[in-house]
Amino acid sequence: MAEWTETKGTSNLAVTAAGLRKRYADGTVALDGIGLAVSEGEIFGLLGPNGAGKSTALQILTTLLIPTAGQAQVFGLDVVRCQAAVRRVIGVALQETGVDPLLTGVEALELQARLHGARRAEALRRARELSERLQLEGFANRRIAGYSGGMRRRLDLAMGLVHRPRILFLDEPTTGLDPLSRKALWDLVRAVHAEAGTTVFLSTQYLEEADALCDRIAILRAGRIVAEDTPARLKGRMRRDVIELVPADAAHCKALLVVADGVAPGAAIDRETVRVAVADGAAAARALLAAADGAGIALAGLRVAPPTLDDVFIELTRDQGADGTVMPPRLVPDGPFGGGA
Amino acid sequence: MRTLRLAADVWLLTARALKVTLREPWSVVPNVAISLFFLLVYNAGLGGIGRLSAFGGMPYLSFILPVALVSGSVGGAGAAGQALIRDLESRYFTKLRLTPVSRTALVVAPMLSGMIQVGAQTVLILLVALALGLKLPGGPAAAVAVVLLAAGWGLGFAGYAVAVALRSRSGRTAQAATFVFFPLLFLSDTFVPMTLIKAGWMRVAAHINPTTYVFDAMRSLLSGAAQPAPVVRGILAVLALAAVTLGWAVYTAQRTLRDA
Ligand SMILES: Nc1ncnc2c1ncn2[C@@H]1O[C@H](COP(=O)(O)OP(=O)(O)OP(=O)(O)O)[C@@H](O)[C@H]1O
Ligand SMILES: [Mg+2]
Repeated sequence: MAEWTETKGTSNLAVTAAGLRKRYADGTVALDGIGLAVSEGEIFGLLGPNGAGKSTALQILTTLLIPTAGQAQVFGLDVVRCQAAVRRVIGVALQETGVDPLLTGVEALELQARLHGARRAEALRRARELSERLQLEGFANRRIAGYSGGMRRRLDLAMGLVHRPRILFLDEPTTGLDPLSRKALWDLVRAVHAEAGTTVFLSTQYLEEADALCDRIAILRAGRIVAEDTPARLKGRMRRDVIELVPADAAHCKALLVVADGVAPGAAIDRETVRVAVADGAAAARALLAAADGAGIALAGLRVAPPTLDDVFIELTRDQGADGTVMPPRLVPDGPFGGGA
Repeated sequence: MRTLRLAADVWLLTARALKVTLREPWSVVPNVAISLFFLLVYNAGLGGIGRLSAFGGMPYLSFILPVALVSGSVGGAGAAGQALIRDLESRYFTKLRLTPVSRTALVVAPMLSGMIQVGAQTVLILLVALALGLKLPGGPAAAVAVVLLAAGWGLGFAGYAVAVALRSRSGRTAQAATFVFFPLLFLSDTFVPMTLIKAGWMRVAAHINPTTYVFDAMRSLLSGAAQPAPVVRGILAVLALAAVTLGWAVYTAQRTLRDA
């Protein structure tokens, strides 16, 4: 097959995409030309707010959607021309897929394994093994209709793993889960990655999630990648400090926000804490203290912190930067294609 | 190798569809109940006209039984479309599309499970008819042939229901589409032989309506004096419908599943 020859020289790349564009029938441009390069064995995160185009990108990479322009390969296999071959190497848990609620967990897993070509005994063994591994034991023989949200996500993950895929695509795997279930799912993803060396390509709206799981993340906004790097380097690229002010009386939060915004525009409230990004932490702290004093607001705490991924995210996904310190968007700065091309 | 794979996938998916149907048995009940209601009410109310010479001595129960069977098979086939809609709505269908299974298997499986369901309910209706005093001068072979005709007709309608479900992706549209049931079932020699149909336009409609040929084939088989001609015409009608709707369903699947 012609497609196979393309894999030469790029075999260490799990996902590549160039100029990927998707325009829906109603005219919405969900992806406006994105490029991706994910190495084998990586945990890669596509981070973006609602409507950024994450699901669209994942659906294209998993052969469910045809791109309007551009191309993408998974392990060198073109996602449009080699759909069947791609489906054999990918495991998928999408935001909007479900499982027949009238089946039991084991039945759904067994059928999935058999549709991937496993024999009955083997399929059943794999179904049992995965339901145990993903902590569904007690429920494996119950109808899926009675599963909780967290159990459904774990089952979804298990369904994506039956055929031991080389890469796992997860679309917002923990959206809607409580913190404990979220942590449990992260641990499972890490375990799959560690045990089988499976490449993971996930999308998320949560910076915390991308930070906790991913080796590298790309930030997607309105169909374009505005930054791509390791979580640590992205944070490092924000040459800014963040000052957190905690009012003694939570009721003063709003007033404090107004005061802080007067000193450094762009202040925001985050759980009874006023957060403000500034160029020079030490100088701004003094000005902020004086302003709060002047307004008669007592402070319970003040912290100068390095930027979190949240700050990077807010900076990069803002339509227009508040001041000149915002970095210009960079497309694939030091991905595997960066040096040679 | 490829056909073997296809057959295996179709079997796996059909078995799953049947299993799920058995877990929701009440979804089958209304359809079987309507068929039995037709059988009982028409036989009780109209049974007397069987004495007219146009019936050629055939008991009215044997004459009206095919109407109950065909109504059951069209209704049962509609369930195949509803099952597909259920999978589309639960998004399980997307999960199935992500396996290497062929698109053809994904539409043939609900059609086959619809057909098997129709076959089973046809046997049930036949048993009730026997309890009501149905005589089978053609013996078990004729009964088996009747069941096969009903199941084949069900397969054809299942293809139609599946194609509509895939195109519309909406339960209501799929439901509305089953309205073809009425003209198909009633613009025919449904209640009386063709010679007794009063309006000329109705006779024309009945001749065009493929259901007429299925009725006639079944009646011929049930009469015990099966003529080859009506039976062959009935088989051809069944095959033609199944071929057309299967082709339509597969075509729709190839087209809509590519970019949806
Ligand atoms: N089938 C569709 N037809 C038309 N527009 C669509 C369709 N699917 C998505 N869109 C639009 O494309 C854009 C990107 O959608 P997409 O679902 O890819 O975003 P997302 O990043 O996954 O968002 P979320 O975090 O809410 O899941 C949005 O503006 C959305 O409204
Ligand atoms: Mg999404």
